[in-house]
Amino acid sequence: ILYCGFYLWKMNNMSPEVALHRISPELRPLLCSVVRNGRVGLDSTNCLRVTDLKTGCTSLTPGPCCDRFKLHIPYAGETLKWDIIFNARYPELPPDFIFGEDAEFLPEPSELPHLVQWDAGDPECLLQLVKELIQQYHQYQCQRLRESSRLLFEYDSLLEDPNYGRNMEIYAGRKNSWVGDRIVLVCPSFISIMSSLSQDTALDPGEDVALLSVSFEDAEATQVFPKLYLSPSIEHALGGSSALHIPAFPSGGCLIDYVPQVCQLLTNKVQYVIQGYHKRREYIAAFLSHFGMGVVEYDAEGFTKLTLLLMWKDFCFLVHVDLPLYFPRDQPTLTFQSVYHFTNSGQLYSQVQKSYPYSPRWDGNEMAKRAKAYFKSFIPQFQEGAFANGKL
Amino acid sequence: MYHLLMGIIECAAAGGSGIDGDVSIMAASISGYTFSSVCFHSANSNSDHEGFLLGEVRQEETVSISDTQISTAELLQVVEIHNHDPCAQLFSFYDYAGKVNEDNLNRILKDRRKSVIGWYRFRRNTQQQMSFREQIIHKQLTQLLGVPDLVFLLFSFISTANSSTHALEYVLFRPNRRYNQRITLTIPNLGNTSQQEYKVSSVPNTSLNYAKVIKEHGAEFFDKDGVMKDIRTIFQVYSALQDKVQAVCGEVEQSERVKEKIQEDVNKLKQQIALRKRKTAEEERRLREAQNAESHPTSEENSEPSETSLLSRVAFHAPSAPERPGTSPNPPSYSDLLSQEDSLLSSSSSPTSAALLPRPQAVGSPGHPTPGPLGMGLGLSLGLGLGLGDSSEYENLVSEAAHLPMVSASVLAQGRPAALSPDGDARGSQTS
Repeated sequence: ILYCGFYLWKMNNMSPEVALHRISPELRPLLCSVVRNGRVGLDSTNCLRVTDLKTGCTSLTPGPCCDRFKLHIPYAGETLKWDIIFNARYPELPPDFIFGEDAEFLPEPSELPHLVQWDAGDPECLLQLVKELIQQYHQYQCQRLRESSRLLFEYDSLLEDPNYGRNMEIYAGRKNSWVGDRIVLVCPSFISIMSSLSQDTALDPGEDVALLSVSFEDAEATQVFPKLYLSPSIEHALGGSSALHIPAFPSGGCLIDYVPQVCQLLTNKVQYVIQGYHKRREYIAAFLSHFGMGVVEYDAEGFTKLTLLLMWKDFCFLVHVDLPLYFPRDQPTLTFQSVYHFTNSGQLYSQVQKSYPYSPRWDGNEMAKRAKAYFKSFIPQFQEGAFANGKL
Repeated sequence: MYHLLMGIIECAAAGGSGIDGDVSIMAASISGYTFSSVCFHSANSNSDHEGFLLGEVRQEETVSISDTQISTAELLQVVEIHNHDPCAQLFSFYDYAGKVNEDNLNRILKDRRKSVIGWYRFRRNTQQQMSFREQIIHKQLTQLLGVPDLVFLLFSFISTANSSTHALEYVLFRPNRRYNQRITLTIPNLGNTSQQEYKVSSVPNTSLNYAKVIKEHGAEFFDKDGVMKDIRTIFQVYSALQDKVQAVCGEVEQSERVKEKIQEDVNKLKQQIALRKRKTAEEERRLREAQNAESHPTSEENSEPSETSLLSRVAFHAPSAPERPGTSPNPPSYSDLLSQEDSLLSSSSSPTSAALLPRPQAVGSPGHPTPGPLGMGLGLSLGLGLGLGDSSEYENLVSEAAHLPMVSASVLAQGRPAALSPDGDARGSQTS
């Protein structure tokens, strides 16, 4: 899980070290903090990216002297591409911005304290300024949303709810493009779940994210496309993308009804997974206490596997227990393995048992006891089979 | 569609109206030397560069009248950039928040403030789009300088990665409008000048040196009235040529009249000749007839299909007898008659004298009406089987020399009886 996260981080960043190398030395610290630490917005898995480094000095100036670049900022499912213009010869001066396609976005300078009191000596200054700009941008998008009363209603109703209000990104689509309006929000109950999950599993709350993105292709909200964005580790922990299906947006429905639905679904899933985790742990713990020295090894992180080495009437055998994801609903698979006999293919002779007396309602102890009883009843059979079919 | 351009009314107005509705088109031009000066300052700076544009804005109103509409007035706002005022450094008149400091602005512009029509910025390797700070500054400048349609000229220098190609791009914006924010900036006399004439700029020349030199050496080119000497000389040549042309006109007129007179005389003589020939021919014919009458006593005028008898018959049936040229107690002599007839015939073109000629009805003619005075000639010619075309027959009577002898002979023959005096000499032929 950890490896997965790291790999993605690398993919998103596209070697920032190379970019920094070409930047004028005086401006390097500013850009460093943006690229390395910069996380703005809800989607914290997508870092800020820097491309198109150019210089404002004459072509005869020896490098490195790049002082202008494009900053890619993930926002509400889109990527904003803003030009940031410094002057390498005057590094103490604050930068200028070109807001790409958002030609009408003109924030009020008084709302940008880090611009008004620009301090080139503070390496965080640029990052803070960018965050302030994004805040203003968010407000600008909300303003634009006012052109569509339906979406405005949706937004306002969500805003009022303290669960969602603070963690939303709005993107009001353009009139002449195919991009519709979009509201992206964090499933709020997720945040609390995340922290509990991270204690038990190895998930990093900082790296992981669950976002619900709802796109409105038209103003009447007849074409609504919801999408759930999960960071890969969460997706894996919840059983893969196939396991998660969010309900379609009901036509004529509202976000204020729909979002809690989705969140609830997600919560349930996560709860289930957590429960399963706990259950598994309980199961393993019970087996540990019942079989004590008989435990060879077990999965101490996810508690998904357990191997026992048991002896019955001088016959030693191994039992591998595989706990499925939806344990205790699904019963564990028992694989009996002889330590003496081999099959024709050179493997140890084994038999898999998927159905045996089992009930999901038993607690760990009960399961251990019953398992023990089952082993006793099954082993003679297994022994015979091993002797009959296996070679020594 | 006939499109008529009425007039161009110029009204100098610094700043213009600045309203979206009326002024729809804006044309902008910058003199070549100002442009190159801005480029020079910009290219030599090692960072972004900015400055102010000085010039004038005037409005031209074009009223056009066409067939389909009564009149449309078009307002064209013309921006002319005469000069520029570069700023020594960035942030010289505004602070980090982009707030313009009016004191600094005045210190930079001094008394040039009133001729500011825009400002410019130069930045390398950036997009051709107004930046955040530029927009904020522009709004404030518009207000402070009181120029509603303040323009913004953006220079951008784009270099390729290996510095092999550098492009200087420039766009002129008028950001205070909602639409059509980009204006084409023309640089007069820069471009393909092979098909265009050299445009003179209306920028006033304020150079003292220039004024001094012109004053010193001006006398060689200008006369006391301030008009170029060459112009006067050329005008003199022109006048002389005009006089000569006038004189020639007079001469031409005179010679034309002489020619006309001579032509008349020639015509007269021709007619005389024609008449004489007819008479001679008639004479001979009469003689022949007389001879025939002796050998054959029976009348032959009814049966002989000869052309001449035919003609006589025709002549006999003439509806009206032309009046005598003028009754006089003394019968006119032959020559007199000839001349009279000639005069009759010569003026045959005129309708009055032409009416004197008898109008026979040609036997065997195709039946074309012979309305004119020369109808007789027409009929006769047809009867003679000359086969002349219809339209040109009128001419033939007087002018066609080839057919004249025959025709005129018969004409003479016809004319003869009419012209006979009551005494009836042997001159005329007897038509009985």
